[in-house]
Amino acid sequence: MTDILKFSVPGKPEYVGTVRLAVSSLANCAGFDVEAVEDIKVAVSEACTNVVCHCKPECERFYEVACELGDGRIIISVMDNAGGYDVSKYQIPAIEQPKEGGLGIFIIKALMDEVDIFSELGLGTSIKMVKYLNRI
Amino acid sequence: MSLQLQSSYNKDLGQWELTAKGEVDISTAPQLREVLDGAYREVKADIFLRLDELTYIDSTGLGVIIGAFGRMQESKNRITLINPKDNIKKLLSITNLDRILCSEI
Repeated sequence: MTDILKFSVPGKPEYVGTVRLAVSSLANCAGFDVEAVEDIKVAVSEACTNVVCHCKPECERFYEVACELGDGRIIISVMDNAGGYDVSKYQIPAIEQPKEGGLGIFIIKALMDEVDIFSELGLGTSIKMVKYLNRI
Repeated sequence: MSLQLQSSYNKDLGQWELTAKGEVDISTAPQLREVLDGAYREVKADIFLRLDELTYIDSTGLGVIIGAFGRMQESKNRITLINPKDNIKKLLSITNLDRILCSEI
């Protein structure tokens, strides 16, 4: 038995914090410990930030955040129609030469148990993130 | 969800002492960039950024600090993060930025 909550969010920087608070509140109620809630909070925020950063003026003004709770896990999907990108061109940030950008996906993958990124050029991107309860 | 920044130049030690309170994310990162760049434009010196009361930072905030770090390297100056909370320490560790930004960790 799972519950699904969906948020439709304007692609503006000022609402990323609202999503962060809402999703961390959900994760807290679902029984995740403080550190896991913090991981989920950061990961969701990074995914939303990616959308807002890459949202071109002509793209749709809203993106969707869906949270699926149940079966001992939370699944969060952040979906946009901001035009997509070539996932194969993503490069892991070089530790010795830190750059200003490109850390978001790296951080999401480090904090969540499972991460899947689907992107279609000309359409949009969906980041699906899973965190399990009681996983060390 | 706001960010408060304070900066003062310590003439005796010849260094900037900055304090960040609150949250740094995509909406507040430009404020951090402005204060870091503004201070460094005024006096080119090492920057010590106190994070005792910073509760949240994300990749955009870290990116701003990396940018400042890069620009300061040209003049052999450093930016050092002081006393980050555990959640921020974790992010610094994941990204390996603790090695270049945190002398005390």
